Amino acid sequence: MAASDPPTNNVNSSEREQRYNEFVALLSRHDLSIRRFVRSLLPNRDAVDDVVQETALECWRKFDDFATQNAGHPEEFARWACVIARYKALSWQRDQGRDRLVFRDSVVEALAASALPQLEQRDEERRAIESCLSKLDETQRQLVLSVHSPGQSVSSIAKETGQKARRLYYQINVLRASLQQCVEKQLRQELRHG
Amino acid sequence: MDDSLQKLIYQAIDQTIPAEDFEQLQNLLEDNEEVRQAYLQAVNLSESLHEIAAAPLQSSPASSATPPLYRWPSVFAFRSLMIAATALFMVGGMAYWLGRQRLPSPSIAQITETGSDASESQIAGHATLRRAVDLQWTDPTSRAKVGDVLANGRFQFDSGVAEIDFFCGATLIVEGPASLDIESDWSVRVNQGRLRATVPPAARGFSVKAAESEVIDLGTEFTMDVSADQARVEVVDGEIMLRGGDRDGQHLHTGEHETLHGSPSSQGIEDMITASDLYQRDQSASTQRFQEWRRSMQSLREDDRLIATFAASELEGRVIRNGSTTDDTRDGLLVGPAEVVDGRFGASSHGINFDRPGSRVRTRIDGEFEAFTFACWVKIDNLDQRYNALFMGDGYENGEPHWQIRDDGRLMFSVMVDDSQSVSFYNERDHRVVKDAGLHRVYITDPIWDISKSGQWFHLVAVYDPASRLVQQYVNGVRVSAEKIKPKYQIDTLRIGPAEIGNWGQPFRETPWFAVRNLDGTIDELTIYNAALEATEIHSLYESGKPLGY
Repeated sequence: MAASDPPTNNVNSSEREQRYNEFVALLSRHDLSIRRFVRSLLPNRDAVDDVVQETALECWRKFDDFATQNAGHPEEFARWACVIARYKALSWQRDQGRDRLVFRDSVVEALAASALPQLEQRDEERRAIESCLSKLDETQRQLVLSVHSPGQSVSSIAKETGQKARRLYYQINVLRASLQQCVEKQLRQELRHG
Repeated sequence: MDDSLQKLIYQAIDQTIPAEDFEQLQNLLEDNEEVRQAYLQAVNLSESLHEIAAAPLQSSPASSATPPLYRWPSVFAFRSLMIAATALFMVGGMAYWLGRQRLPSPSIAQITETGSDASESQIAGHATLRRAVDLQWTDPTSRAKVGDVLANGRFQFDSGVAEIDFFCGATLIVEGPASLDIESDWSVRVNQGRLRATVPPAARGFSVKAAESEVIDLGTEFTMDVSADQARVEVVDGEIMLRGGDRDGQHLHTGEHETLHGSPSSQGIEDMITASDLYQRDQSASTQRFQEWRRSMQSLREDDRLIATFAASELEGRVIRNGSTTDDTRDGLLVGPAEVVDGRFGASSHGINFDRPGSRVRTRIDGEFEAFTFACWVKIDNLDQRYNALFMGDGYENGEPHWQIRDDGRLMFSVMVDDSQSVSFYNERDHRVVKDAGLHRVYITDPIWDISKSGQWFHLVAVYDPASRLVQQYVNGVRVSAEKIKPKYQIDTLRIGPAEIGNWGQPFRETPWFAVRNLDGTIDELTIYNAALEATEIHSLYESGKPLGY
């Protein structure tokens, strides 16, 4: 079977279309969670897209299994996909060898185990982050976002602004830590305020 | 998290970590769950910041209503890999995906923030709909409710009478069939309809346009009758000036009338409804609506699925009788500055206003239940608190409900699943660690309220059904959310016990401080069922209970 073949060959096209639509809907809904999960296992950000894509293809290949085993529980999709993503992350790292920044397998396994139960918290967390960001003043917000902008890094910003990279790095880390604290506090409040 | 560990973690995330430090970080990650959690949190934060940085428009808290959907390029990339195998289905899948991005969220008036003062909100509009009697809308999808702010644009109805207050102070009473274009605080175009304009001194200069003419009011009152082939105006009291058309510059005084367009007529405009007529009509229609509601309440109270039903209009002193039982064990008691105000059927009905922090209605409902349906009629003046209470179980013990609205206009419903899984937290005021609620899940809707909805009545419903493992929420008879109860949060025996409407009693708190959660608004009816009501039943509850003009 070719890599991109759909999972079952003997079903009629309208069933296939329906299944495909179902799959795309689930994948779309959980794409962010899966991506975060993969990112947690791979220090190399550039690798995330590859692994997520590999994972998506593998999920489509095995989607019939999922549909049979989890009939009526589409909310299990993210968890199921992340189990696949863990294997994909491990095999990607093995292919890369040791020349890049990669976690050893035991670390990947440990992180995956810790990350799996948290797949569902993203919405609240995102809202908390936005609310905390809005509490920073404009320059601080720009600074902490600039280092996370596409194509930017601490050293390139240091060069642009004429600041010492180490000093800039220190400032950014302080901001991140305070954001982190603010987010934790807000999430804890949410938890208590049911 | 200690500083050196945080530095290691972020160096790894930023990919600037030296090899021997990376080795150390890996050892820590492998051995220590706390370090793993710290790492995962940092990854999440930096990924969120990446997304926000990539889509700067998403970064204001007001726009966080929908989770980011700009992830789709990755799905697209994935899909393009699959074109060979599934080209046939591309279009269908893509349409589905695009469709998802436009999921209808309840319409929220445009609120924008000004550049100079980011904390000030703005609403677009020029007038409000004060009264609406027997209005039949031309286009039911663009109907307005009494109290709505009217933006510029078409206002059209087939029959009935509407009273519109322009922000400048002018009032129009319009008889249908009518079609108006609201242009500004000071100006309106009439395409069709009979109207009476009352213009107090503060609104002098208010202008009504018809055909090619413009009527400028120089004080008090005039009537107009506009149809496709004729437009006439008559001054009831005071003075107007005409502009444009054949009569440009002409002034008319009390008792004078003029034809602005079409074949001239010497007849005055007769039988135009007056403000006091409209008031009378509105009152009697409200009273009639109130009586109809009372009759429908009689039959609703026979429903043996009822746990409790509180109607503020049935107030006896400081007690709201629970209409579902004959004894007084489940009555509600007004406590503190809870104030009796007009209910949703005007002056003949009552509601309870909770706008001061000590206001509450306390009740006690013992027993065990299989499912919950909570329904209430509420008018929200503002969402002042972070959490604004509708109905709250006191201690939030196992099986007890919490129903509230967050300051961003989202409804929240939850049931405590396991209060033994307590959460400890540090109370900054008391400088010590206290314990609080345990395992539960809050079911949250999209925003259903913003300041433009202030003063409107809403019918809110939360349905918690352990049997079908589903939590559904409704606004004005329409379902706005449905979420599965995950096995982890499954609980079959529901309870209420001591509880409050409009506030939260926290008898078990370990500190004198209490969370301020009173509702800045009015509740005039709240009903609880020991059952999961169907969508059709909820819709009919809304229809039979809605106030005049909804």
